Amino acid sequence: MNRFIARNGPAYAFLLPWFLGFFLLALGPILASLYLSFTRYDMVAEPRWVGFDNYVYMFTRDRRFWKALNVTFTYVALAVPARLIMALVVAMLLDKGLRTIGVYRAIFYLPSLLGSSIAIAILWRQLFAADGVVNRVLADFGIPSHAWITDPNTSIYTLVLLAMWQFGSPMLIFLAGLRSIPRDLYEAAEIDGTPKWRQFLRITLPLLAPVIFFNLVLQTIEAFKTFSSAFIISNGSGAPADSLLFYTVYLFNEAFKFFRMGYASALAWVLLIIIAVFTGIAFLTSKYWVHYENERD
Amino acid sequence: MVEMTRRKLLGTAAAGVAASALVGVPALAATRIRHYWWGNPERDKRTFAVIDLFQKANPGIEVSGETIGWGDYWTKMATQTAGRNMADLVQMDYRYLFEYVRRGALKPLDEYIGKSLMIQDFDKGPIDGGRVDGKLYALNIGANSQVMVYNTRVFQEAGVDADLINWTWDDFAKACEKISAKSGGKVKGADDLALMIEVFESWVRQNGREFYDANGKVAATVDDVATFWQFWADLRKKDVVRSKDKTVILDVPIAESGIAVGDTAMSQFWSNQLVGIQAVSKDKIGAAMVPHKAGGKPGQYIKPSMFMSLSRDVKDPASAIAYMNAWVNDPAITKVLGLERGIPVSQKIRDQLAPGLSEVEKLSINYFTAIQNKVGGLPLPAPKGAGEVRDAFMRTGSDVVLARTSVKDAAASFIDDAQAIIDRAQ
Repeated sequence: MNRFIARNGPAYAFLLPWFLGFFLLALGPILASLYLSFTRYDMVAEPRWVGFDNYVYMFTRDRRFWKALNVTFTYVALAVPARLIMALVVAMLLDKGLRTIGVYRAIFYLPSLLGSSIAIAILWRQLFAADGVVNRVLADFGIPSHAWITDPNTSIYTLVLLAMWQFGSPMLIFLAGLRSIPRDLYEAAEIDGTPKWRQFLRITLPLLAPVIFFNLVLQTIEAFKTFSSAFIISNGSGAPADSLLFYTVYLFNEAFKFFRMGYASALAWVLLIIIAVFTGIAFLTSKYWVHYENERD
Repeated sequence: MVEMTRRKLLGTAAAGVAASALVGVPALAATRIRHYWWGNPERDKRTFAVIDLFQKANPGIEVSGETIGWGDYWTKMATQTAGRNMADLVQMDYRYLFEYVRRGALKPLDEYIGKSLMIQDFDKGPIDGGRVDGKLYALNIGANSQVMVYNTRVFQEAGVDADLINWTWDDFAKACEKISAKSGGKVKGADDLALMIEVFESWVRQNGREFYDANGKVAATVDDVATFWQFWADLRKKDVVRSKDKTVILDVPIAESGIAVGDTAMSQFWSNQLVGIQAVSKDKIGAAMVPHKAGGKPGQYIKPSMFMSLSRDVKDPASAIAYMNAWVNDPAITKVLGLERGIPVSQKIRDQLAPGLSEVEKLSINYFTAIQNKVGGLPLPAPKGAGEVRDAFMRTGSDVVLARTSVKDAAASFIDDAQAIIDRAQ
């Protein structure tokens, strides 16, 4: 017991604020939403128990639910790898022992601080608008202009691009991971005449695996929860033609536009389960591809 | 020692907070009422001016105004209703009135009429628009109607000479062609209104039906929708309406409408918005009716643009009603409000306002007079779920505008969806 406290005490001490917040503020509403997901609740009249009706309707009759899943999965599949690759590339460029690294780190991190803000989403919408900056620049190169956001075939890519641009936080973590790889491994490889790309595949990637894993899980969860940028860029509706109907945007509209709080709660629980499943898969498969340095066999 | 000091410091701070809280309570005015409305900068300015006037005349009552755009208004209202924290007085819309009354969120006003709420001599029709099940739940604070706003300069240059009160859809299409041809395509005839259910509603009524029948069923037919969307598809093909990229952005603010930007010569609005549109338009605007169907029934109608309602959570009904009464009767207050929320439904107030009207306000009064005998009756309030049907109309319509589906298929699927949405909402 004493050993447990000695080992884990500080960790729990640091977790305490989170625990307090969770138990005092979050747990009640979470449980309430579980209850509400089995009711019909328009936020004015009392909730009415309907059993599994919400869930049955969702899976059997709600076409927009499937549409929202489709949009969200597409986004996760594109945005997470795009952001991680971007983050890793920039981290490796910065990992050169520059003296001014702090400055660069801050500069590259900036978009992530700004990125989730409403202002950037509005800016993004204007950049990619039919008469926006992007089209004007493309026109200079003789490329015909395109309505990026209002064309349902391209609208989602503008959001993937936005996600990619916010590579700051995984980049910082990658950078720390790269720093912890012993230099002598590279030196040895250098002496053996191993080409750079091989060093990357055989040294950097395997030793970075735990950090990649961590970033992957975190960014996947983050991507499933994308809301504000999609909400702003689609004018709150998931338009054009539902091509930006992110799960969270659909959920918000069900809850606060059509006042189906019970149904929206059910949607929220399904999202939670989806995220849990994906995280679970990541953890289960991790033992095949993630190698921890201090692992004892 | 350090610890003691810190604790002492905390103690002192806490005591200070508690003391200031205690002091704060009696500093409040005797009565406080909350008034909640959806607005725009112009409306907010006028409403806060009204609040100032009222507070000066009634020192015992403090009014706190809460305003937000239409888009978020109902979200916030629903949240406050769920939290039993509604403002004492809320602005209400015809579309939501029945829903809120049926949920028990509003209080009837009948007991105050003739005592503290002097509205006996107001126009009967518009006042009755606020009745549900025989009781008055909402006080009409302005009437309005649909209007096709047009750019007078462009119309003149293109030589459009149609009678803009009695014109037909055919005249409208010809005007669009004339305007686009004259400007070499720079200014298109009109916004592409294929996604506007408000215009479609007129179309259905011109065909002799209501969108919803008395039982709340969808009465509009697949053919109504298909002919409507085909009408706009033809104009789109001739390239005489606004580009589809700008059309599928839904519910754009006034300042981004075709007529404000200068892309087009016509946009569709509600008549109380005329003042706001003129404020963001370079050229002088004019007001035309929604075009008629040759040999059809009247489609357009005059409706209460906004109501004021007393909420279930009202703390001090007497003060709230005093405020409401001043809103529609006090000459100083009605002067500030003007026509911004719609045409006042009291002849006395209209006469008081007449001499001081601006040019665009005169336009809206004249328009109102001109359409009086051309409009149909007020349709029944839409059933629960009508807001979602409006969304579905825009969504399915977007597929037509973007040519992702045929007009026929889209029309059939919209009518199916609409009925399903209404059924689910009951």
